This record gives sequence, structure tokens and C-alpha cells, in this order.
Amino acid sequence: MIEVQGLQKSFAVRGAVIRAVDDVSFAARDGEITGLLGPNGAGKTTTLRMLYTLMQPDAGRVLVDGVDPATQPGDVRRRLGVLPDARGLYKRLTARENVVYFGHLHGIAGAEIAARIDRLVAALGMQDFIDRRVEGFSQGQRTKTAIARALVHDPRNVLLDEPTNGLDVMTTRSLRHFLQELRAEGRCVLFSSHVMQEVAALCDRIVVIAHGRVMADGTPDELRARTGRANLEDAFVQVIGSEEGLFS
Amino acid sequence: MSAWWVVLRKELLDAVRDRRMVVVALVVMPLAVPLILAGMSALGTQRQVEKLESTLELPVIGAEHAPNLVAWLGTHDVRVVAAPEDADRAVLRQEHDVVLRIDGNFAGDWRAGRPARLEIVFDSSRPLQSGATVARLRGLLAGYDQQVGTLRLVARGIHPAVAQPLQVGERDVATPGMRFDLAQQMLPYLLLLLAFVGGMQLAIDATAGERERQSLEPLLATPASREAIIGGKILATAAFAMLSVLVTLLMYRAAFALLPADRIDTSLAVPVDALARLLLVVLPVVLLGATVLTALAAFARSHREAQGYLPLLIFLPMLPTLYLMVAPVKTQAWMLAVPFLGQNQLILRILRGEPVTALEWAINLGTGLVLVAMVWWLAARLYHREQLAASG
Repeated sequence: MIEVQGLQKSFAVRGAVIRAVDDVSFAARDGEITGLLGPNGAGKTTTLRMLYTLMQPDAGRVLVDGVDPATQPGDVRRRLGVLPDARGLYKRLTARENVVYFGHLHGIAGAEIAARIDRLVAALGMQDFIDRRVEGFSQGQRTKTAIARALVHDPRNVLLDEPTNGLDVMTTRSLRHFLQELRAEGRCVLFSSHVMQEVAALCDRIVVIAHGRVMADGTPDELRARTGRANLEDAFVQVIGSEEGLFS
Repeated sequence: MSAWWVVLRKELLDAVRDRRMVVVALVVMPLAVPLILAGMSALGTQRQVEKLESTLELPVIGAEHAPNLVAWLGTHDVRVVAAPEDADRAVLRQEHDVVLRIDGNFAGDWRAGRPARLEIVFDSSRPLQSGATVARLRGLLAGYDQQVGTLRLVARGIHPAVAQPLQVGERDVATPGMRFDLAQQMLPYLLLLLAFVGGMQLAIDATAGERERQSLEPLLATPASREAIIGGKILATAAFAMLSVLVTLLMYRAAFALLPADRIDTSLAVPVDALARLLLVVLPVVLLGATVLTALAAFARSHREAQGYLPLLIFLPMLPTLYLMVAPVKTQAWMLAVPFLGQNQLILRILRGEPVTALEWAINLGTGLVLVAMVWWLAARLYHREQLAASG
């Protein structure tokens, strides 16, 4: 369960102050997939970065399973599995060594890490490359390794920033299937995307963000009802006020 | 398992898999340092031996004014050759190390019993090249001077000792280990340089490189504290640099064991018991280098920018060596507290086999480690900046 209340964050860029996130509130529930949808530059990544304690909010607060990252950042990071926008791997290590490293950093014992990796390898289809060095991996293999690394500590809450970026159709399909499994296990899944079709296909709830603000929040049906549009695509366009950056 | 140890182990594994890094730090540098020093020493010894033992070819201007002197020089392994037109120019242009000019009135002065004039033309700004030759010629002329002077006194019925109110003897208290030459001055610098920047590749890869390949953000999203992450990285850098220094010292020892003893100044060899003490001396420098490099790499935006600071870092350990070359002073306690200068002094003293007191150790190690702690704190502060990870 992730709750976000009145989150704000500004950056000073060459003298000008840019409000990247301006009063964002929403909740992502356990056993649901919540999509953070918005055009590029809408403030999705900054919002997620504040959730996983990389950045301090200027105002507002975050609760992860009721725990406040401002006071207990370590506890919050343990409850979160994070696939950031930056998902670099160590190319001289094997995929397994990359994942084991993060398992150790989470303070998990070696045997438990091994068992956990076995399950993730099966679920993500990593059998062919788990023991190969990362150098030369395809984009899909990299993303799978990064996801395995993010979930090695069996977190209740999973944050993914644009998880399907740069993936081919088959990998995207298997990744969607994997996210649905995470939901079936009762986890709270929150992912960001600028691709409308992606969010429409997966999400139980959709939070639409533009210009650092929440423009709409609800199930796909609620969004259609609110805007009076039968077509979800039209509903999005109306909510955001432009078609810019929504389609890829 | 502590996060420090996890990070340290991973960084070392990552470094060992980087063949280029390993070859440079553990093969090229350890080979280069002994080769440079042994080569310098061998060359120096050889030239010294050649200059002192071979026949000295001496251009003499006005040789016809002093045939006896010229003949005497001939019996002392000096071959007089034709003199150049302009002696000063020839010496300045390094065509000759030294030229002897015999005054035109030499014969007249000599017969009249007045001091006959000679002039040694040389270039004092090139002591390494011509110093030994000039000293040899001076020695020969002084010998002739004394010999003739003694004969003159005897011819006048005076005991030669009358003209020798003093008898000055010399006793050199330097032990063989204290012999000082250029190679020995270079060793502390090369050791300190290696200790200071030996872990550079690892530090840059572990911090600036981690940002560049975008692996820092996921790393900072783990429960491991930033202190632990940077601590592990600093210690990994230090361990790597220390290993590089150790291998270099061992190779250095091996080089002196392999090369023929008569070609090498054996006093430059490092005794086994000195090895451990040398490693202890460079320890604060290794840690300081690892922290400074990590801080710089955390500050720099990219690999390239981080490497841009390198010339500055190479210059730092050079300063005390240059200072000591210009002004070779007696060790004083405060010097041991100055980074690099203190280590430089201690390395020289260990190599020369001089004792180092417990207090001196305490001053040197204490101040070194305090400095490390300060830079470490700064590096950790840099690591807490938000912009560090959020570069994308």
C-alpha cells in the first residue's frame, strides 16, 4: 500500500525554478496494478524518486505500508522493489552476480537469495542468460535482470519507472504477464508510463499526471464515465487537454 | 553481512574482471618503477666508473707553455688533445666536459718561482655530466702542485711539513645504506605517487562510472546507507592501490636480485624487514588517495571529467620531493606531520636504515589519518547530495 499526499518538488535550473511536482496525491492499493500515466516531463519520475527516498519532497508526505520515508528511509527501501528509470547493470558481472549483490545489500542470507533467484528466473524466463556476463545483453535481457535485481528481497510494493521502454513485443507481453502475477500474489504494483495502450491494458487504477499535477484518478470505467467519452483514448486526451506526448 | 563488506567485495570483483585495470595497476606500474630506478642506478654507476677509470681526454690550450705538466698528466692516465678555438663556447655547447687553459706567462712565472696560472673551464650547471671529470682534474692538478711545492721546499733545505700547518683527514660516517643518489630520491616519489593514485581507475569506475552507466540510482534505492556504500568503495580503492604498491616493492626487490651486482648500486635494495614498515608509511597516503579520488569522482559528472583532475593529483606527491631536492634539510618533527613530506622523509630514513621513534610514527600516522577522516567526511557529504544519483 502506497499513499501519497500533497507531494511537491521544485528544481532550480539556471536561476529559474521549475515545479516538477505540484501537489500530487493518490493511493496505490495492495493486490492492484496502479498506472501513473502522463506525457514525458509530467513529473512521473520525480514522484517515484520521492517514493523510493532518492529525493526529499519540498512538501507533502509519503506512506509505504504506513511507514514514512522521511523518518524511516531504510525501512521503506526494504518494503519497496524499485526499477528506476536508470537501470544500469554491472557489465563485468554475470546477471546472477548482479542480483546477488543487491540481495546482500538488502541483508538477505545467501541460501535465501539463491532460492529467490530460482523463482525469478523461472517467472521471467531468464534461464538462458542468468549465468552470463551482462556485457552484450539485449535490452530485454537487461530489463529482466534489472527487475530480478529489484525484486530479490521479495518486496510487498513494486515500483517500476517505464518498465517496457525499449522492449520488443514479446518481451513486453511476458513482462505484462509477470506484473499480473505480482498482483495475484497480493502485492501493490505501481508503474509509470507515457504509453496509453500499456496503461489501459494492465491497470486497475489510473492516475493521470500532467504538468506536475494529478489531472484524473480512477478505474478505466470511472474515467470514461467522468469524461463522457466511450473511448478511453479520447478520455485521456480530454483530461490532459492535449495529445502531446501520449502516443508512441 | 555488513553492507561495507558487500560493496568492498563487489568492487574488487568488478575490478579484477577488468583486465586493463589489472594489467596497468599490477603489472605495468610494478614493472616500470623498478626498471626506471634500476636503469637510472645502473647507468649512473656505469658512467661514474667510466669517468673515473677510463683515460681522460683533456683539451689543453697553451700546452706548449708547460711541457712538464703535460707530460706529468700523461703519466696519470690523461691524454692531451687539441683544444678548441673558443673554450667557453665548446664547454657551453657540451662538446667538452672540461678544458684546461695554460697561461701564456706560465713558463716565465714558473722559472721566477711565482705562482703560475692555470684555468679550468667547466659548466657548473651540469654537475651530473661533468662534475666527476672536473673533480678528477682538480685532484690531479692539486697533486702536481703539492709534489712540486714539496720538491722546492726540500731544495731550499726546508722541511715540507713547515708549509703544512694542518693535516686534515676525512672520516665518512655514512653507512652504505645512506649513499644518496638520484634513484634513491626518486623511489619515495614513485612509491607515494603509486600509493596516491594507484586506485584511480577503480575509484572512477566505482563512482563516476557508476553514474555514467546508470547503476547508482538502483544502488541508492537499497537499504544500504550511503556511508556504507562510499566506505566500501573507498576501502576497495585503497586495497587495490595497496596491492599495487606491494607488488611494486616486491618487483623492485626482485629486480635488484636479478641484475648483476657490479652494475647496480646495491645500497638501493629494500631489505625484507623494511617492506612492512614501508607499507605502513604509505597506508595513510593510500587511504587519502582513495578518499580524494572517490570524492572527486563523486563530484565529477563523467569519467572524462574525473580523469581531468589527474595531472593535479600527480603533482601533489611531487611537491615535497622537489622541495627536498632543492633544499635537503634535516628532518624536523613538524615535517612528519605534513602529508607527503612526512612520508617522503620516513621512506628515505627506512631505506637508509635509520631508526624511527615511536613518537615520530605517531605524529606521522596520526596526522595522516586525521586528514583522511576529514576528506572522508567530505566525500560522504558529497554522496548525500540529491543531484548525485538523479542525473537523468
